[in-house]
Amino acid sequence: MDSNSPQPESTPVPPSSDPLTNQFTSLNDLAHELTSLQDLANRGSWLSIVDKVNRARSLSLLNTPHDHLTYLAYIALSLTKLRRFQEAQTELDSLDDFNSHHYRYETYPKIYHDRSGSMVPFSLRWLHALLPIKLGNRQEGLDRFYLLLDFVREKLNRNGNDESVKVWRKREVFVVNHIINQHLSNKELSVCIDLIDALISRGNLDPVLLSKLGYVQMQIGDLDGANVSFGKVEKIASESVENESGLRNLASRNKALVYLVGKDYLSAVREYDECIERDAMDYVAINNKAICLMYLRDLADSIKVLESSLERVPTVALNETLIVNLCSMYELAYVNHSDNKRTLNNWIARVAPDDFDSSCTRV
Amino acid sequence: MSTPPATQSLAFRVMRLCRPSFHVDTPLLLDPSDLILGEDIFDDPLAATHLPSLIDTHLTNPIDSSDLSYRSRFLLQTPFDSFGLTGLLVLPQSFGAIYLGETFCSYISINNSSNFEVRDIVIKAEMQTERQRILLLDTSKAPVESIRASGRYDFIVEHDVKELGAHTLVCTALYSDGDGERKYLPQFFKFIVANPLSVRTKVRVVKETTYLEACIENHTKTNLYMDQVEFEPAPNWSAKILKADEHKSEDNSPSREILKPPVLVQSGGGIRNYLYQLSLSSLGSAQSNVLGKLQITWRTNLGEPGRLQTQQILGTPITPKEIELHVAEVPSAINLDRPFLVHLNLTNQTDRELGPFEVWMSQDDTLDEKAVMINGLQTLELSQLEAFGSTDFYLNLIATKLGVQKITGITVFDKSEKKTYAPLPDLEIFVDMH
Repeated sequence: MDSNSPQPESTPVPPSSDPLTNQFTSLNDLAHELTSLQDLANRGSWLSIVDKVNRARSLSLLNTPHDHLTYLAYIALSLTKLRRFQEAQTELDSLDDFNSHHYRYETYPKIYHDRSGSMVPFSLRWLHALLPIKLGNRQEGLDRFYLLLDFVREKLNRNGNDESVKVWRKREVFVVNHIINQHLSNKELSVCIDLIDALISRGNLDPVLLSKLGYVQMQIGDLDGANVSFGKVEKIASESVENESGLRNLASRNKALVYLVGKDYLSAVREYDECIERDAMDYVAINNKAICLMYLRDLADSIKVLESSLERVPTVALNETLIVNLCSMYELAYVNHSDNKRTLNNWIARVAPDDFDSSCTRV
Repeated sequence: MSTPPATQSLAFRVMRLCRPSFHVDTPLLLDPSDLILGEDIFDDPLAATHLPSLIDTHLTNPIDSSDLSYRSRFLLQTPFDSFGLTGLLVLPQSFGAIYLGETFCSYISINNSSNFEVRDIVIKAEMQTERQRILLLDTSKAPVESIRASGRYDFIVEHDVKELGAHTLVCTALYSDGDGERKYLPQFFKFIVANPLSVRTKVRVVKETTYLEACIENHTKTNLYMDQVEFEPAPNWSAKILKADEHKSEDNSPSREILKPPVLVQSGGGIRNYLYQLSLSSLGSAQSNVLGKLQITWRTNLGEPGRLQTQQILGTPITPKEIELHVAEVPSAINLDRPFLVHLNLTNQTDRELGPFEVWMSQDDTLDEKAVMINGLQTLELSQLEAFGSTDFYLNLIATKLGVQKITGITVFDKSEKKTYAPLPDLEIFVDMH
């Protein structure tokens, strides 16, 4: 019946090289031992990933161009997460220009058949802009981010298929977010507001974005503006059919912030308790509840809240900011706080993922 | 911070409790597709069909509490997770700068680091400035009964900062230690209060309106959100703020309802200008030139408020007019060489009797004949006016030239004080043919 369909190539093709002519069911069809890499990443075992990539390279286990690129993306990401920025940069420096024909599917018709386009993982373009900033050259990095945004927008103008458009739209938001982050960390808050304004005008009425707008407004001191933004989120949450706890908690946490700013710490704690009831892993609610308890003069309970969260939900509670707050509380509560902090530090060393920045304990 | 000598069982520990801040960072979170796949792979229709579900099943499962992975430090849960502001709050990490107009707030904890209980603790916290010593807390009337070994007693103090310069938070505890000995522990925490703003003002009088320009400069290390800048006029003045016309963009975006651009004054030298139009609402008896003062309220992180008032702002002294002469009515048709009557009103704006007066038209320097002259007696006599009184009178004038002409130089002279007042401002009239 299918006499017109193209016949598969007669030359044998290794199973992992082109996932699309095979009915793939596992990640390993996409790249060499991808499942293992992904698993290590989920566990935060970035050191192990560095080892694995180096081993695969030295044993020549990577056979296809996309395998090399995927492995490079993993090691560059790992080194960045481990704050070994120069090494990550070196990895990226080993590549040709991203637009080189070496990184295009059509250059290797024997492996990729009819596929065309760039096989560069987008994360590499992101790291290419981020690393100069991490290495101290903020202007270069910021320029690259703006250029990356142009690049993404150009891809959107080509009008690809639905899935392609969806993916590039996500990348557009991703890049704008990172540009906002840079301006945010440089305290250029008016610029952030303009960028968020632009996102909202393009139809991004995402409650998470609106909440973050509220946080920027609060940080500036524009409490009225923040209230308006939170009001929109509340409206979306109350109209939502699914009633998922994530959205509900987001609206609750916003409400708690408004109480906090009005110095009504008791009501804020009540809101945060509701959040924790709905989702025991809401570490933002847990952390902020502990902060409120401090302002209620209850240093003992604020410490208890944070310590117990480390016991019950370590995979989310083990967050550098939460630890910074806990250590500030130890410094206030105990004359011999270095003991408490050392105990904490030892526990962290046993349990934390490789990328955890333990300088936050100030031990 | 001073440390207590080793013989003390108690020690104060202090943490400044201004508002917390939001934690900001660069999240290193990714969409798995951006790591494991080529960026253009979805152009391939086969990939577009098969890959999304593969990725969903294997990579983006929702987290449940039994999941012991650190996936949330690696994968994006929602698109805006890459915007590094989660809402996590951080406690103030350093003492920071303290500015005039802010509220100083501090968590104070007294620790008993000894192995014995201490009893009858009288705690005092005071703020010592260059000029005074303010009591913030005093438990002498109800001493704390005891603090157990390794125990703590906590309190929070607040103080509105109203002075500049060196401040010392003085914390003292008077207690009975484990041996029953009465001990005294003083501890001192010093800080400096600086001026957050400077205000420069300029007063200008144009015609009879006074304009006040105020320029606010931010000397702090953070941006200041101007919550309110209000001019409070002195009793006999009223003020109106003048704003430039807003340049309204055509944009009808949904964000317009949310976003009113905030009034932010940049840190470290940024400025913002304000313009007020002032008018004398009534002539007070005092000839003061005090215009009023500016009340400024600003906010910093999470709405931390600050409030300052300027000194009284002085204007250029305006001598209030003792008499007011104005034109009540001029005939609508004025013809050449035909006499016409101008209705004038003279008011005594003082609280004492003035006059009697003479009214004439002053001679100007040109040799030309004046276009409009008094017809008849060149000087008009007016009787005395009582305090705040007024009188109406008519001047008989005649115009000798056609077209647009001016009635100039109508002058009032006080005969008893021998004082000539400034002439009536020129009045334009149109002189027609018969």
